Amino acid sequence: MKKKYLYTAIMLFAILVAGMGLTGWYVSQTQEQTDGQELTVVTSFYPMYIAAENVIGDADGVRLENLSEPQTGCLHDFQLTPEDMKLLSTADVFIINGGGIESFMKEVAEAYPNLKIIEACENISLLSGEEDDTHHHEGETEEEHAHGDVNAHAWMSVSAYETQVQTIADGLSGADPERSSAYQNGAKAYLEKLDGLRKRQEKLKQEISGQSVILFHEAYAYVAEDYGLQVNYLLDLDEERQVSAGEVSDVLSAVRKGHVKYILAEELYGKSMGDTIRKESDAKVLYLDPLNRGTYEKDSYINGMKKNMEILEEAFYAKDH
Amino acid sequence: MIDWTSWMDYGFMKMALAAILIITPLFGLMGTMIVNKKMAYFSDALGHSALTGIAVGVVCGIPDTNISMVIFAVVFALLLNKIGSRSTVSTDTIISVFSSCSVAIGLAILSKGGNFSKYSSLLVGDVLSITKKEIGYLVIIFIVTILFWITCFNWLNAICIHRALAKSKRIPVQLMDYVFAVLVALIVMLSIKWVGILIINALLILPAASSRNLSVNMREYHVFSIIFSVFSGVMGLILSYYTNVATGPMIVIIASVIYFVTYFFGRKWKE
Repeated sequence: MKKKYLYTAIMLFAILVAGMGLTGWYVSQTQEQTDGQELTVVTSFYPMYIAAENVIGDADGVRLENLSEPQTGCLHDFQLTPEDMKLLSTADVFIINGGGIESFMKEVAEAYPNLKIIEACENISLLSGEEDDTHHHEGETEEEHAHGDVNAHAWMSVSAYETQVQTIADGLSGADPERSSAYQNGAKAYLEKLDGLRKRQEKLKQEISGQSVILFHEAYAYVAEDYGLQVNYLLDLDEERQVSAGEVSDVLSAVRKGHVKYILAEELYGKSMGDTIRKESDAKVLYLDPLNRGTYEKDSYINGMKKNMEILEEAFYAKDH
Repeated sequence: MIDWTSWMDYGFMKMALAAILIITPLFGLMGTMIVNKKMAYFSDALGHSALTGIAVGVVCGIPDTNISMVIFAVVFALLLNKIGSRSTVSTDTIISVFSSCSVAIGLAILSKGGNFSKYSSLLVGDVLSITKKEIGYLVIIFIVTILFWITCFNWLNAICIHRALAKSKRIPVQLMDYVFAVLVALIVMLSIKWVGILIINALLILPAASSRNLSVNMREYHVFSIIFSVFSGVMGLILSYYTNVATGPMIVIIASVIYFVTYFFGRKWKE
């Protein structure tokens, strides 16, 4: 009888030790060195991280971290994890995209009133979220929509992204005047690379501007603007978005009515819809990368944009020649 | 080596710990009776009804979804009890009908306009969502449940053992059923936001089920159940903090380990 209590206590103790041991081992595997760092910069998600990475460049004593963003898409409805709260408590500067994408900003601002926040979109006039009248969102009020009433995916436009890079550089210089020149140099070098990208874009724009397209992701509104494309219909497909049959028929009728030849979609969430459209009509579906996640290399934004351009070039030239 | 006290520096962790210390004993306590009354499926359905509760709150424009969730769950529980006791089909069929119906309504409303991802944290729970106000609610429900248990446990137990006999002893069988269902509804609703819809039932069932593997009388049954529940709750919270995973699932994993150990060794230990 008494043995049972002893065994139960032993069991609980064993579980406790095993759990703590495994956790300790796990944490020691993943722990990073943080000593000797003077300034900690945290970015809210992928495009901001890449921009900040280039701006900071080789500046000494700056630690750059990204939130543990979701691996599934934009961070529309991302909830901060305890790990993120820990990270932010050590941060000096927090770089966000702005425009309402970071829905958790209120909590952060309340918890860390001294955190310096750089909003990369502040110098950009964002497109409105309701890009098209046919965009269905009747059931919700503006505030309920995850993005508010603006389309904040500004990084998809190269010129807007350049503005963001400059805003970040200026913000960092303001927060950390000592390394100001390093930040400005980093930004300058990066902007030069981006200018090359933009020139290539200009060339493509002359060929394709004025074409009608349908978008399956809000972010591509900026792509359409960059290239002067005419958006006939916008369907914001996203994680966990359930498409109703009515929307499919709306898209199809927009394809037929506007003689739309091209649809810009994101592979991850637009694939099934894209396949349907391809079967039902002769429109071509182009899968672009919305650049909201990827590898943490300095050039990955530029590479991603180049790949998108190649897809566009290939599709539009193939038709012309 | 890691610092095992660093989690105490954060306000949200203290809040979460307080919530767990209040709610896990209740889970252990209520779990014993849910397992005895074979109501595991009932509490599961209640958890799922949280979706509808929130959806109703959103439609009616109630800013505090806690309130709409609780109101809906209480109505849901009462209705389920009522129809379950009248109908000729078995209870699990009725519960299944209710559960899927309410999930469908909830999903339909919440997914309108592609908005569902906003609520997806409800499915796995979010420990940061615990606020001071919710702790206040938890304290109230804690007191109510303890009082109910002290005064009515014998009746509940009698009903569990033999319904007709209990009725003949003038025990208010129906009333007890209703009160119990409402209490389960309240506890589930007030903890669902940080535990998550998908696994809340495990927290109610696992500690009691493990305890059943070991105990030989009612007192042991309760004590073990509460110990297991609090143990897995606190340990799950702390481990989830260090490993950066959602808290609810971590708690359930630990509770499951306890269940399997007691399942395989419980019989031997009893001898």
